[in-house]
Amino acid sequence: MSFIEIQCGDVLSSVIFIIEGELETVPHAAQINSHLTSCAPCSAEIEHERLMHQMLQDVLKRSCDEQAPEDLHQSIHRQIREQMGANLGTTEVVTQFSMTEISIEIDEFGNIEHREIQIEQTHIQHFIDDED
Amino acid sequence: MTSKDLVLESAADRTTRFERDALVFTNQLYAAALRYTKNPEDARDLVQDTYLKAFTSFHQFEEGTNLRAWLYRVLTTTFINTYRKGQRQPLIADNELEDWQLAQAQSHTSDQGKSAETVALESLPDSDIKRALQEIPEEFRIVVYLADVEGFAYKEIAEIVGAPAGTVMSRLHRGRKQLREKLADYAKELGYATASSNKTGTSNEKGETK
Repeated sequence: MSFIEIQCGDVLSSVIFIIEGELETVPHAAQINSHLTSCAPCSAEIEHERLMHQMLQDVLKRSCDEQAPEDLHQSIHRQIREQMGANLGTTEVVTQFSMTEISIEIDEFGNIEHREIQIEQTHIQHFIDDED
Repeated sequence: MTSKDLVLESAADRTTRFERDALVFTNQLYAAALRYTKNPEDARDLVQDTYLKAFTSFHQFEEGTNLRAWLYRVLTTTFINTYRKGQRQPLIADNELEDWQLAQAQSHTSDQGKSAETVALESLPDSDIKRALQEIPEEFRIVVYLADVEGFAYKEIAEIVGAPAGTVMSRLHRGRKQLREKLADYAKELGYATASSNKTGTSNEKGETK
């Protein structure tokens, strides 16, 4: 195994991965970890970033907690009932077909992006219910 | 090609299930819609459209999977496809991935810089927090909101916004950074902080050489 010297810059540019708990997805994660245990300014930086991240989440959650207006709840309910009314007295038989298209992409950093695109087809039939 | 079992459910049963499971998220979706659209009228319409779409395609939702994430996906795609149309905002997607990691901080933050940042966050009123969020570009705003307010993991966000996970990580990083810069600026205007987000230069003894 070749020796890789980790610089503070390498650690600092991986901050978001450390914060998100995704350091293992970064090249040389183990070396970054061991740098962190021996470099006081870097570990202070990470500590500060964690604190800021926590504080930012707290203030965002506190600020963004609006309640929907009461009549919105009612109009959603009404809208759903109306939509259902269109299908009332019928039983719906839904057949779904799905196909998955898989693509693998490698970017300039060597990150592998794996994407799956699902193509779905739905066939819906309505049958009028028998009256008892 | 696979074909699922026939789903047999009466319209009434499905409606009951939908109302029981999905409508509990109305307040949360509304708060998100306010951040997306930036105004109460559009937020209302967006939530209503979202629920109508979700209801009519509810048979596609796999029971047992994450309904909240699914509803956010409907909300986000409805917003992107409907409410943003016509605005033709310049998309930042182009050179988005270009060296964003390299563009990150290459030096340590000074102690004053650190305390100024925390003081700024502690002192600002909710209205300023929301204003800052409104002012960052839409692509950033959406992922920051989903991650930091709603607590979705970045892989879930990739599903919700329909972008690769790496792109989400990049937007998240840049969005939070811009948000913090804005908040530091507001705090400075209000006189709370003087040395907001100072970076020590490379000439500093705490510089990057180690």
